[in-house]
Amino acid sequence: MPGRPERPLRRSADDCVLGGVCGGIARRLGVSTKKVRVVAVISALFFGVGLVAYMAYWVLVIRQGEEKSILSRTGSDKREKEILAVGAVAMFSLLVALEILGLDVFGFVTLFFTFSALGALVVWRGASVGERAQLHRTTDAVATIGSSSGEGWTGITLRTVISVVFILIGVINLSRVSRRPGAASGVVIGAITLVVGLIVLFAPWWIGTVRGLSKERHARVRAQERADMAAHVHDSVLQTLSLIQRAADNPVEVARLVRMQERDLRSWLVDPESFGVPSNQPTTLAESAFEIEHEVEDTYAVAVEVVIVGDCELSPPVLALLGAGREAAVNAAKWSEAPSVKIYIEVEPERISMFVRDLGKGFDLANVPEDRQGISGSIVERMARHGGRATITSSPGTGTEVELILPLTTHTP
Amino acid sequence: MTQVALPRVFLVDDHALIRSGIKAELGNQVELVGEADEVEAAIEMISERLPDVVLLDVHMPDGGGRAVLEAVIAVQPGVKFLALSVSDAAEDVIAIIRAGARGYVTKNIEGPELVEAIYRIAAGDAVFSSRLAGFVLDAFASQHGEAEVSPPPFDPELDQLTVREREVLRLIARGYAYKEIATELNIAIKTVESHVSAVLRKLQLSNRHQLTKWATERRLL
Repeated sequence: MPGRPERPLRRSADDCVLGGVCGGIARRLGVSTKKVRVVAVISALFFGVGLVAYMAYWVLVIRQGEEKSILSRTGSDKREKEILAVGAVAMFSLLVALEILGLDVFGFVTLFFTFSALGALVVWRGASVGERAQLHRTTDAVATIGSSSGEGWTGITLRTVISVVFILIGVINLSRVSRRPGAASGVVIGAITLVVGLIVLFAPWWIGTVRGLSKERHARVRAQERADMAAHVHDSVLQTLSLIQRAADNPVEVARLVRMQERDLRSWLVDPESFGVPSNQPTTLAESAFEIEHEVEDTYAVAVEVVIVGDCELSPPVLALLGAGREAAVNAAKWSEAPSVKIYIEVEPERISMFVRDLGKGFDLANVPEDRQGISGSIVERMARHGGRATITSSPGTGTEVELILPLTTHTP
Repeated sequence: MTQVALPRVFLVDDHALIRSGIKAELGNQVELVGEADEVEAAIEMISERLPDVVLLDVHMPDGGGRAVLEAVIAVQPGVKFLALSVSDAAEDVIAIIRAGARGYVTKNIEGPELVEAIYRIAAGDAVFSSRLAGFVLDAFASQHGEAEVSPPPFDPELDQLTVREREVLRLIARGYAYKEIATELNIAIKTVESHVSAVLRKLQLSNRHQLTKWATERRLL
């Protein structure tokens, strides 16, 4: 708790980013952890002094709730000591090699960095189980080195070492800017090396982010599509299935539902975009003909098959023809007892013909009473009013065919 | 009809339900020599058993009925195909016919009609559903208005329908059976059959590019 110094000096286990060093100091001094962190970062910028101090504190001070410091734990194990020795030798050999290559690496900065790296090695080998878990959580949160990066630890270590060497060389080159002529080349080389180091360090993270973004976008699109599909399947297919179950003992109703669903699915497959958009008023002969097909199928539970050759705009005579044809189809659906009605429409330059046919029980034309509005008014007279004619062929037992002819000569533009 | 030998039929469809439905409808009116639910198996078994008629589902994974048709016809041109489909898309219909199918019917065809179609195909004739007849009329009619389209080598023999063929197709489109067409036009059933076969030949051989173009443009029924 800030404001009251506490004892003993420990590394904090709960208030920590890496080793809980700043948290521990803040506790000990009774100041806020944030202040300590700012001081630590600033001091680290002075040739890495703060960094070395941090690492020293990390390995020497006992973690809250533990009994031994990291250093004493590693120091008591012979094997660990050997590993540390090998690590230290490797680091110094690397420095010597760079020095021989003429990079002039020895200096305060390098030394401090090397000590910090050694400290990190000690931590890596000697951290307790609890601290290890906590460190894993921290590194996991950092995409570039954590397990979330998808790389193995070997790959991560290799990449980190390489990039740190590059960064180091770059920093050293930059720090040696002097007044002597030709110094700019060193700056340029230093800057380039530094950038390369940074790229090596952060490239996987950056690539991962980009890839993750596009992957996420793809996933979102796919999820959206799946949701649409599911919604559609639910709205139409499942609803219809439940209706069918309820109407299981009514074959006519089942057939009607099935046909409705079939048409619905088919139009969705052909043109999913415009599906569900309330269809506009039909503007062509073919569109209205299919509308008649749907209407008669839905209302009278018979299959209607429409075959159309050619197409044309709607006009009053064409609408009259369709009206008469619709009436004929409705009659067939209502009275013929045939399971299906066929409609054939052909648009030719000089005329439109429409045939409505069923193979139902048929009727005797002579026996139709004069006042039957359906045939005389809605079909025959309607056609006549627009210069067309209607011929009805039927006899009991062979079905019925209504032939509607509409001459187009007067209406072609 | 003297039924000395039943036509030997092979059934290709990737849906088991549809297959069993068709089998039930065919009953013992044909001799079912085999069935397959995928393209590769179908090609192999058909080439081996050489049925008279193959009932071929147009829509299947791995290339669909067309892949079966093309592979079999290349080695066994004698095998005849009747395409079965749920879809009436002009594109599919025209494509499968031009690939070599002798007929096309939709799957909701009734049992007796299907049997009749099989016998007709087995006898070497063609089978057009009313919708296919409509397509053909439409495709071959559109040439009048398309004078400005650069005409491919114009072959009146193949690129146009005769008046009689048109009449026959029109009646098929109106839902007439072959027998009814014969009565209506006062011709023999054989003549009706030969007209339909002639139309099929034109449909398959005509290189009017409008045919394909027409089919692709006419996406929706």
